[in-house]
Amino acid sequence: MTVKISNKLNRKESDLIYDFKKNKILLLMLAPVVVFFFINSYLPMVGIYYAFTKFDFNGGLFGSPFVGFDNFKFLFQSGTILKITVNTVLYNLAFIVIGNALQVFVAILLSEMSSRIFAKVSQSIMFLPYFVSYVIVGVLVYNLFNYESGFVNTMLQNFNMDPIDAYSTPGLWKFVLVALYIWKMLGYGTVIYLAAILGIGSEYYEAAKIDGANIFQQIRSITIPLLVPTFIMLFLFSLGSIMRGQFDLFYQVIGSNGLLFDATDIIDTFVFRSLKMNFDIGMGTAAGLYQSVFGFIIIITVNWLIKRNHEEYALF
Amino acid sequence: MKKGMTGFISALSAVVLFTGALTGCGSSADKAADSSAAPTTSVTAATSTAAASQNGIDTSKEVELQFYMLGNAPRDLEIIQTKVNELARKDLNCTVKFNYTTWSDTNTKYNLLLSSGQPIDLMFTADWMNYNQYAKKGAFKPLDEVVPKAAPDLWKWIPENYWNGCKVEGKIYTIPATWKEYVPGVIVYREDLRKKYGTPEIKDITSLEAYLEAIKKNEPNMIPTEELVADWGIGGPGFTAWGPIFEQTHTSNFGATVPYGLYNDYKNPSQLIDYWGSEEFVNDMKTLRRWQEKGFWSKSALSTKEYPADEFENGKIACVMASNPGKYATTLSKVRTNHPDWEVGYLSAPEVAGYVEPVHPIHNGFAVPKSSENPERAVAFYSKMVLDKTYNYLTEYGIEGKNYKITEDGHYEMIGDTTTNGFAREAMNGWAWRNPEIQLFDKSFDAVLDIFKKYEAGNGIVIGENLFGGFVEDYAPYQAERTALYQVQSQYLVPLMGGFVADVDKGAATFREKAKGAGLEKIQAEFTKQWQAYCKSIGK
Amino acid sequence: MKVREAKSTILFNILAYIIVGFITLLCLLPFWLIVSGSFTSNQSIILDGYRLFPQEFSLDAYKAIFKIPKGVIDAYSVTIFVTVAGTLSGLLLISMGGYVLQRKDFRSRNKFSFFVYFTTLFQGGLIPWYILLTNFLHLRDKIAVLILPSIMSPFLIILMKNFIKMSVPDEIIESAKIDGANDFRIYYSIVLNLSLPGLATIGLFLGLHYWNDWFMSMLFIDTPSKYSLQFFLYNLLNGAEFLRNLSQGAGVYDSVAIPTETTKLAMAVVAVGPIIFLYPFIQKYFVKGLTIGAVKG
Repeated sequence: MTVKISNKLNRKESDLIYDFKKNKILLLMLAPVVVFFFINSYLPMVGIYYAFTKFDFNGGLFGSPFVGFDNFKFLFQSGTILKITVNTVLYNLAFIVIGNALQVFVAILLSEMSSRIFAKVSQSIMFLPYFVSYVIVGVLVYNLFNYESGFVNTMLQNFNMDPIDAYSTPGLWKFVLVALYIWKMLGYGTVIYLAAILGIGSEYYEAAKIDGANIFQQIRSITIPLLVPTFIMLFLFSLGSIMRGQFDLFYQVIGSNGLLFDATDIIDTFVFRSLKMNFDIGMGTAAGLYQSVFGFIIIITVNWLIKRNHEEYALF
Repeated sequence: MKKGMTGFISALSAVVLFTGALTGCGSSADKAADSSAAPTTSVTAATSTAAASQNGIDTSKEVELQFYMLGNAPRDLEIIQTKVNELARKDLNCTVKFNYTTWSDTNTKYNLLLSSGQPIDLMFTADWMNYNQYAKKGAFKPLDEVVPKAAPDLWKWIPENYWNGCKVEGKIYTIPATWKEYVPGVIVYREDLRKKYGTPEIKDITSLEAYLEAIKKNEPNMIPTEELVADWGIGGPGFTAWGPIFEQTHTSNFGATVPYGLYNDYKNPSQLIDYWGSEEFVNDMKTLRRWQEKGFWSKSALSTKEYPADEFENGKIACVMASNPGKYATTLSKVRTNHPDWEVGYLSAPEVAGYVEPVHPIHNGFAVPKSSENPERAVAFYSKMVLDKTYNYLTEYGIEGKNYKITEDGHYEMIGDTTTNGFAREAMNGWAWRNPEIQLFDKSFDAVLDIFKKYEAGNGIVIGENLFGGFVEDYAPYQAERTALYQVQSQYLVPLMGGFVADVDKGAATFREKAKGAGLEKIQAEFTKQWQAYCKSIGK
Repeated sequence: MKVREAKSTILFNILAYIIVGFITLLCLLPFWLIVSGSFTSNQSIILDGYRLFPQEFSLDAYKAIFKIPKGVIDAYSVTIFVTVAGTLSGLLLISMGGYVLQRKDFRSRNKFSFFVYFTTLFQGGLIPWYILLTNFLHLRDKIAVLILPSIMSPFLIILMKNFIKMSVPDEIIESAKIDGANDFRIYYSIVLNLSLPGLATIGLFLGLHYWNDWFMSMLFIDTPSKYSLQFFLYNLLNGAEFLRNLSQGAGVYDSVAIPTETTKLAMAVVAVGPIIFLYPFIQKYFVKGLTIGAVKG
């Protein structure tokens, strides 16, 4: 209460000056974070200037010739930028939305299950895919879908069905890639929601039980609403990087199979292929900047919209 | 509960203590690192009396040279380095630190090492590591004056045409290797199976097809071959092993192909012919389609995760493409150990085309990066590594009697195996400082030397001169088009080469149309202009 | 009343066991294939593919990795040290930061949150960062470079902030302030206790990050004995990949044997093994009711 009043009284004063006066200890506690990001993240940002130069070793960062937006040209030259941008955004949305929904679902199941041991063991096992590197995932997927000796086709043939030529069927991979990502991150995300559920005071549930709410009603009226802020936070956080793809997933599973690119090419794989033979600092930075600016616009807009309606959910 | 809490809190206070310790040790380590990271600061007053200047260069200050090579460091590097430093301190009043980039993300690391400007005195260069482009962008120091001054022996020993081959815009930026080697593609197959099924001797594409067909028919558990996905780079012929073989039967241009779907004839190199636009191209793609339909390789070949050589050595496939004779020799020796009943045959690309080129001088070399503080000492030291037998053998083969011995017929022989021996032959990846006059070969390498002898003996094979290696392409005028073309190639040309496009005529037309859209014509025109200017400058 | 509640609970549990059991199986199966594959002979993997049980049992893959045990042991020690040190110190800094950023009376919290979040949007790229760490901070080839640059991340800070916001009611902080506790004391004696599941989660994520990291070793470590475990394994694998993908024309043939299919699988097992056994110990912080108990006790 006192806080709210003093907040109103001092509105004119700048927030930072206020905190310097009143919250010295808090500032000090935050100092390592500020110093860390200033050095590790903000200082190197001078490198964004590379996007506008044609790098040479004699000039270095600021001495190389300025070329304006030339380095961005390669993104648009092949005419696929729109398609891969759309691919990137849609894949990421699918990853975020489906992934989080499933994580919430599993976290609720695990937290309410009667057998603790079963819940613990299965939670540990769900973490296993997180450790399987995408290189190995790629190998496993190949052994699953490979036309001649893959597991899927062997099964189909056992049931006298026609084999699928998966590696020339682009549409299939949309589902495979999303499923793989969700599979891999399920254990990781579930932990977040599980921790969030544990943060909910048990007095809520006790009160609900006294009111006669059954387990489904408790989940619907207590657990889910209280997980919404966490979900929104994670969603907002991911939005900023919606233009950055899961490079390893796409690269290891699809590789250089041009037959599938229409459905599976994202900005990161596109840029990687463009630059891998002759790495060009300018072009690489330009592509990164394109992704950053796009993500920046999206997150600022969405955060602003959310802040207008539910300030407590906003990211900043 | 209480117990858990105190446990947690004591853990946290341990962190506080620990963080202190970390920063503490960080700062003391910093001092130590300063000396190793920056040779300039480590310059100590010369205590040794060997400061007498040698070769007319100033060696009065002791310096530590930073030497960078690709790949993984051998296990016993430390021992070899100490030995080398004993010699170098006496001869040149310097020591050297051998650094290795590892094979992980090598291109990224190579680029970072050069771009960051950290002091490096000797850096490996190669055509396949974009020597020309780095030199053009100013990553290395010109050596035209340094080498004659600091290493007059080396300057004389390396033939003039090698020096000339390393010139980029008129200046020498790297010290070339002089061992004459050939690195064409080699088709490796099972000679025992060929004999068993009585197909004709393999000497061209037609006889190869007959062989693959026999395998398909008679060996149900084998796949005739694996469509090897290998990257040929921007503008290169594609990603697949077979596509380029076809192209090469027309181009007679093996070691390094003229890019962007162009090819030339060695008799008239300045004339460039458009392969992608030709009838031959469509016919070749039709052949590949036919092969794919016959089941010569997996329907999933474009995404394969298999290692073809591994599959060949284990008897899953009957034909594999080795990217150079050395790899063929490796496969051969593995088969001889594990399957002595097999017989391995090979057909190298020059035998089909009747033409071969040795590698270009820039194929392996060492440059002095711009950041070097001791270019003269670096060059003098490198000269020792090449010309001085003690240095050379130490860094190529290790310690005699411990790592290797020389057999009676003059072959290198490793002592023990890779588990017990921490320094195998050429473990330092010393491809660049091989000295052909004193070089030692392992017995298994005779397979490679036999191939070389075959070329040099004639047999209808013309040995040409590698022109492409010396050409410095300036792709600035068509950089955006060039990357766009690469995208088009990976999306449309690769499936065509894998034989996965049902209607080849239509597929080829789509590819051409897309390539045109990406700016192929502009690239070809500009490239041809530069190429012809280059040919003129070297008098071809 | 009682009967209905029990019924719904039973129904819930049946559904939960079926669904969780199915998902668990999906997560276990691929890993099982990897383990089984790593104990199979290489020839059998190439000719017969992956099987639930080894067709031809063999320990060759593990022998290949442990051929020179020193490398693996060094790598394990580095990774264990880095993981423990990094996680503990990171946890301290992140939880302090998260706590400050969620304090309602800390007025610039949104400004600082944005300051932190902004770094996920814009990055300077690899080269300037590399130059900073090697040429200015002189961290090349130091163990510290494996720890410091990954000690916190925007994601973990904002996640921590959210956890604290959820599990520490504002009233508790306010009443502690009225009692005269200073801000650090509130953090130290109240906030840390109340957000144990959150701390365990963040600690777990930090630990996983350190455990799985190969990138920092790849960029900054020159001395093989300082490689982290993942890089040690990754490098074995990558060498082969690089040599395989080199186009024709590069006269490179490494003297080092290319690892086989099964070695790759064994590497995955070697890398996961120890940490998966640690997981149950972390799980004890994920017990429902823990929070409330801490407040009352």
